[in-house]
Amino acid sequence: MDIAQALVMGMQTWGIIGAIVAAVFLTIGMDRIDEDARGAYVFRPLLIPGVMLIWPLVLWRWWQIEAETAPWAARYQAVRGWYGAAVIAMSVGIIVVVAMGLSVRQTWPADAVPVQLSIGVDQ
Amino acid sequence: MSDDSEKGGPFFVGYLPVPGPLRVFLLSVCLAVVGGLAAAGYFMGTAQDDPGPGAFRFDYGRQTVTGVVEMTPYPVIHVTEGNDRIKPGDSFLMTAAGKSGVDSRAMPLSGQLVEVSGIVLERGDLYMLQLRGGRNGLKAAEGDAPQVTAEPHGRWQLTGEICDGKCLAGAMRPGRGLAHKACANLCLLGDVPPIFVSSQPVLGEEFLLVTGPDGTRLPRAAYDHVAQFITAEGEITKRGDLLVWEIDVDTIEVTP
Repeated sequence: MDIAQALVMGMQTWGIIGAIVAAVFLTIGMDRIDEDARGAYVFRPLLIPGVMLIWPLVLWRWWQIEAETAPWAARYQAVRGWYGAAVIAMSVGIIVVVAMGLSVRQTWPADAVPVQLSIGVDQ
Repeated sequence: MSDDSEKGGPFFVGYLPVPGPLRVFLLSVCLAVVGGLAAAGYFMGTAQDDPGPGAFRFDYGRQTVTGVVEMTPYPVIHVTEGNDRIKPGDSFLMTAAGKSGVDSRAMPLSGQLVEVSGIVLERGDLYMLQLRGGRNGLKAAEGDAPQVTAEPHGRWQLTGEICDGKCLAGAMRPGRGLAHKACANLCLLGDVPPIFVSSQPVLGEEFLLVTGPDGTRLPRAAYDHVAQFITAEGEITKRGDLLVWEIDVDTIEVTP
């Protein structure tokens, strides 16, 4: 498997898991953790793309609220504590990716000389 | 209300004059952003490889010549009756508009005398004709078609890059390199002829039509190596004045 196939497979796997999480969360989980959402269905399809994208966060928050491992007010607070670290990690990541890309870049083999391995039948 | 405003510190409001203490800061930020973006643009631009001299030559006007169609298996025209720019004895490749070849139009006329008409794409010694649509671009001509000879030149190990002929010849800038890989593969899937750019001239030519062995199309296994710098082996045959390299995909090695 080459890098491109691995990337596509990774994205497909992420999306498939996300779709399963979205299906379960939006039909079962949401009613269990948010009483205000009970009986409201029209808006739920709008959340499918977002859930597919950040399904680990959805699962973690679902578990946090379901298991009551955090104070009740935590459900109304965005996860802002990670934002600073995420910004730094992404900034460094971009620089690392560009540097790695430039470091593995091929150079044009201008010195490579064509080599005749055998002569033609008519020659 | 923030602590700063409670303490009477400077507070920026867009529709009010900028507070004195913030002017230097605001000016510095503006200069840094404008200067930084200009510098980034300059360095990104200068870091790019030269896209080369390839281009559509609309300035030449529409070119119409007569020649023999040969399927190599990519269709080649061996010119028998040229004009001011395209001389008798020349051999060139053809493409349709967009990312499409002209195989379906050329195949029924294989070995026959035809009249072709279109716009030239030119990059150094390499040129190609983007044909007009339908029969206006390619149609049978009156007369006997001369026999096209194939001159074998043996097996060669070459180093260079597989590109799609149309973008390389000037349809895209850049028309080669990793940045162009996806476009090149789409063109090849659309039957645009593939061209090998050799690191150094082979039998006097820098550009060779690259095919599979024994008159087959470029194998799909080679598509993974399009736009990479590779070394490979294969038989070279001269057809008209065009070199055709029958690449052996099992010998492909990516250069450092």
